[in-house]
Amino acid sequence: MTWLHWYLLVALLLFCIGLYGLVQRRSLVAMLIALELMLAAVSLNVVAITSLSGRSSSVGQVVAIILIGVAAAEGAVALSLFVAIQREVQSINVENLSELKG
Amino acid sequence: MNWTGFLFGASAALALVGALFAVGLKNIFHNILGFALSLVGVAGLFLTLGSDFLAIVLLLVYVGALGIAMVYAVMLSQPLDAPRAPRSLPKVAGAALLAAAVAMALWAVLHRAHFPPQAGALEVTPQFTGFRLLSDYVLAFELISVLLVVAMIGAVMVARKDRSAAARKAPPGSP
Amino acid sequence: MTAAALAAVLAQGVPLAVCAVVLVALRGRPRAAAALAIAGMAVSLAASAWLVATVAVPGRTLLAQTVFLPVDASRSLAFGVLLDPLSTTMALVVAAVTLAVMVYSTGYMAGDPGFGRYYGFLALFGWAMQGLVLSANLLQTLVFWELVGLASFLLIGFWFDRPAPAAAARKAFLMTRVGDVGFLLGVLLLIRALGLATIPDVIAAAAPGGALSPREVAVAAALLLMGVIGKSAQGPLFTWLPDAMEGPTPVSALLHSATMVAAGVYLVARLHPLFAAAPAVMHVLLWLALATALATATMAMVAVDIKRVLAYSTISQLAYMLMGLAAGSAAAGYFHLVTHAGFKALLFLTAGIFIHHAHSNDMREIAAREPRSQRAGVIGLVAGSAALAGVIPFAGYFSKEEILAAVGAGAPRAVLVLAYLGAGLTAYYAFRMVFLTLMPAGPGGGARTPGGAAAPHGGAAAPAQGRAPGELAMSVTVLVLAALTLVLGYLGPWLAARLGPGEAVRGPFVLGTGALVALALVAAGIGLAWLEFGRPGAPRIGFVERVPPLARFFGDNWYLDRLYRATVIRWATALSRAAHWNDRTLVDGATDGVANGTIGGGRLLALVQSGYVQVYLAVAVGLVAALAWALGAAGGGR
Repeated sequence: MTWLHWYLLVALLLFCIGLYGLVQRRSLVAMLIALELMLAAVSLNVVAITSLSGRSSSVGQVVAIILIGVAAAEGAVALSLFVAIQREVQSINVENLSELKG
Repeated sequence: MNWTGFLFGASAALALVGALFAVGLKNIFHNILGFALSLVGVAGLFLTLGSDFLAIVLLLVYVGALGIAMVYAVMLSQPLDAPRAPRSLPKVAGAALLAAAVAMALWAVLHRAHFPPQAGALEVTPQFTGFRLLSDYVLAFELISVLLVVAMIGAVMVARKDRSAAARKAPPGSP
Repeated sequence: MTAAALAAVLAQGVPLAVCAVVLVALRGRPRAAAALAIAGMAVSLAASAWLVATVAVPGRTLLAQTVFLPVDASRSLAFGVLLDPLSTTMALVVAAVTLAVMVYSTGYMAGDPGFGRYYGFLALFGWAMQGLVLSANLLQTLVFWELVGLASFLLIGFWFDRPAPAAAARKAFLMTRVGDVGFLLGVLLLIRALGLATIPDVIAAAAPGGALSPREVAVAAALLLMGVIGKSAQGPLFTWLPDAMEGPTPVSALLHSATMVAAGVYLVARLHPLFAAAPAVMHVLLWLALATALATATMAMVAVDIKRVLAYSTISQLAYMLMGLAAGSAAAGYFHLVTHAGFKALLFLTAGIFIHHAHSNDMREIAAREPRSQRAGVIGLVAGSAALAGVIPFAGYFSKEEILAAVGAGAPRAVLVLAYLGAGLTAYYAFRMVFLTLMPAGPGGGARTPGGAAAPHGGAAAPAQGRAPGELAMSVTVLVLAALTLVLGYLGPWLAARLGPGEAVRGPFVLGTGALVALALVAAGIGLAWLEFGRPGAPRIGFVERVPPLARFFGDNWYLDRLYRATVIRWATALSRAAHWNDRTLVDGATDGVANGTIGGGRLLALVQSGYVQVYLAVAVGLVAALAWALGAAGGGR
C-alpha cells in the first residue's frame, strides 16, 4: 500500500457511498447530493494519480477544474429542474415519477 | 506520525463521515450539511496533495455555491413539515449490496494495480495551472465556459414560472 | 485553416448555428425559422457538393484533427474531420435529403403550433448527421451517433402531448441504447489498444500484421456491430422502427429511411476493412441481415398502414445493404444506400401527400378519397415503388443487382437463393401498396371500413378542399426526387471508382442470368399483386391474409414485442416490483385494504412496462462493475 493507494481507497469509498445514496434515496435533491459526492471522488482520484504518479500533475489540476465546472453546471440545471418538477407534480420523490420513464 | 499523515487521516475521516451523513440521515438539511462536511474533507485531501488552489476552488464552488443552491431548492420545493415515508428495507439492502459489490470490484482492480513513481517535478502552482489552462487546454477551458453559460440560461428558463403555466393552458394538439 | 477544412466546418457548423438561433429566438416566427433553416441547409449542401467535387477526389484523403484535452503523449481527446470520397458523398446525400425534407415540410407542417421548434430539431439533426459522417475518430462518431439518437427522439415525439408518439419516442431511444452499449464498449476497446481511435489508424491496425490481434479485431467488430444493429434496426432490435412512424411523415422520410438508420450501414462501410478482417462476424451479419430482410418483407405484406409498409421495407432494404457489405463488397452496399436514400425519401414524402389529402394512414381509406387527384403523388408513388421493387430503368434495380451479384460472389448459395426470393417479395409488397392505395375498391371487394389502424393524421389540420400554397412545395419536392430515382441508378460505376481500386461495379445494363432471374421474380411479384389487388374486381385480399394465424403472426412483428414484454422488461422491473409490493402490502396494505389493493394492482400492472430510473441505474452500474472485475482479473498487473 503506497500513499497513492490510500488516496484511491478513500476516493473509492466516497464513490461507493455516493452510489449507495444515488440508488437508495427517494428525494431528488438527496440523489443530486450523492451524485456530487461521486464526482468529487472522481476528481480526488484524478488529482491523486497525477500528483503522485504521473509525468505532469497540471493535467490533473486542469481535469479537476473542468470536473468542478461540470458539476456546478449540472447542479444548477438539476436544481432548477427539481423546482419545475415540484411545480408540476407536487413531489420530488423519484418513485412517483416513474410514469415519465420508459 | 508526521504532519502530512495526520492531515491525511483527519481529512479522509472527515470526508467519509460527512459522506455517510450526506446519504444516511433522513433530514434533507442534515444531508446538505454532511455534504459540505465531506467536501471540506476532500479539500483537505487536496491540500495534502499540494493542490491548495484546487482546495479553495472546491470549497468555493461546492460548499459555497452548490450547498446554498441546494438549500434554496429544498426550501422552494419541499414542504418542510411533509410526512416522510419510511424507507423500504429491500431497497436499502439492495442499494447497500450494489455499493458493496462495486466497491469490491473496484478494489479488486485497484489493489493489484502498480503505479509508476513520480517522474517529473511537481509543478502545481496556480500560475502554472493557469498558464496551461490558457495555452494547451484553452479549448477545453472555453468549452467549459460555454457550458456554464448555457447551463445558467437553461436553469433560468426551466425554473421560470410563466412558461410551464402557459404550456399547460394551451389545449393539446390544437393548431 | 485550409479551404477544405473551412468547407467541412461550414457543412456542420451552419446547421448547428441555425438550430441554436431557431430554438432560442425564432420559435414564435415560423416563416423566418423555415427560411433560415432552409438557407442554412442549402449552405451545408453547397459545402458538401464542393467537397465532393474538388477535395475528396478518388485516392485522396484529408484528415484534420484538433486535440482538445491532451492527457498524455499518446492518449488524448481530439475531434476533427475526415474527408474522403466515402464520407463526403454521404454528407452530400444527407444534406440533399435534409434540404428536400425541409422544403417539403413548409407545406406539410404548415399551421402546426410547433412549426419553429420543428425546424430547430431538423437543423439539429442535420448537424448531428453531418458530424457523424465527417468525424475523424470513433469517439467523435459515438458522440454524434448519440446526438442523432437524441434528434430522432425529439422528432418522433414531436407531438409529445399524444401518448402514442411519446411512447414510440421512448421505445426508439431505449432500444437503440441497447445496441449503443456495445458500440461504446467497442470504441473503448479500440481506444485502449490504439490510444486514439482515428478511423484510418483503426483501419490500418486491423489489417493483417497491424497493431491489433485477430482476436481483438473480432471482438471490436462484434461490439461495434451491436451498435449497427440497434441503429439500423436489424435482427432482434428492429421493432422500434415501425413504431417510430408516429412522428410527422417528413421526419419518417428523413430519419427513419434515408439517413439516420443508414448510419449503421455507413459505419460498416466506413470500417469495412475492420469488419472484413473478422470473417466470423461478417458471417453472422450476413445471416442476420438475410433473416431480417425476409422477416420484415413478410410483415410488409400484411400491414395496412402505408407508413408501416414503408417502415418494414426500409428495414428490409437496410438488411440488403448489410448483406452486400457482409458479402465483401463495400461499393455494392454503399451504392444501394445512396439509391435507397433517394427513392425511400420519395416514397415517404409521397405517402405524406396522400396522408395530408385523406387524413388517414390506412391505405384503404386513402383509396376511398380520390387518391388519383394528387398527380404528383401518383407519379411519386409509382416511380418510388418501381425503384423499390427493382424494375429495370429505376435506381433500385441497379443497386439491388450489384448486391445480388456481390452476394452471389461472396456468400453461400443458400443465401443467394433466399436473397432472390426476398427480391420477389419486395416487388409483391411494393405493388400491393401501389394498387391498394391507388385503385378504388370495387363493389363487394375488400373491406371498406378501416379497422383500428387508421390513426388520425394530426398537426396540419388544414381543410382538404382547395389547394393551399404549401402543397406546391410538396409536389415540387416529390417530382424532383422522382426524377432523381431515374438518374441515381447510373451513378454506380462513378461511386465505385471513387471508393477506390478493387471496388468493381459492373456497368448499368449488363444482363447476366442473375439479372434475368431477378427481373422474372420481380415481374412475378408484381403480377401476383395485380391479380390480388390491382385488376378490376380483384379480391383485395392477399394470399397471406387467407391464413389468419399467419397474417396475425406477420402483422404483430412476429410477436417479438410480446416476447420482450414477457421476458426482458419483466425481469428488469422484478426488483422494483418486489420493493413496491413490500411498500404497498406490508406498510400501507394493512391499514386500508380494499381500495389500496385495487390501486396497487393497477400500479403493479403499470410497472411491467415502466421501470424506475434507479433500477436502470443499478443495473448499469452493476454491469460496469462486473466489467471492471473481469478486466481486472484478465489484465491484472497492468
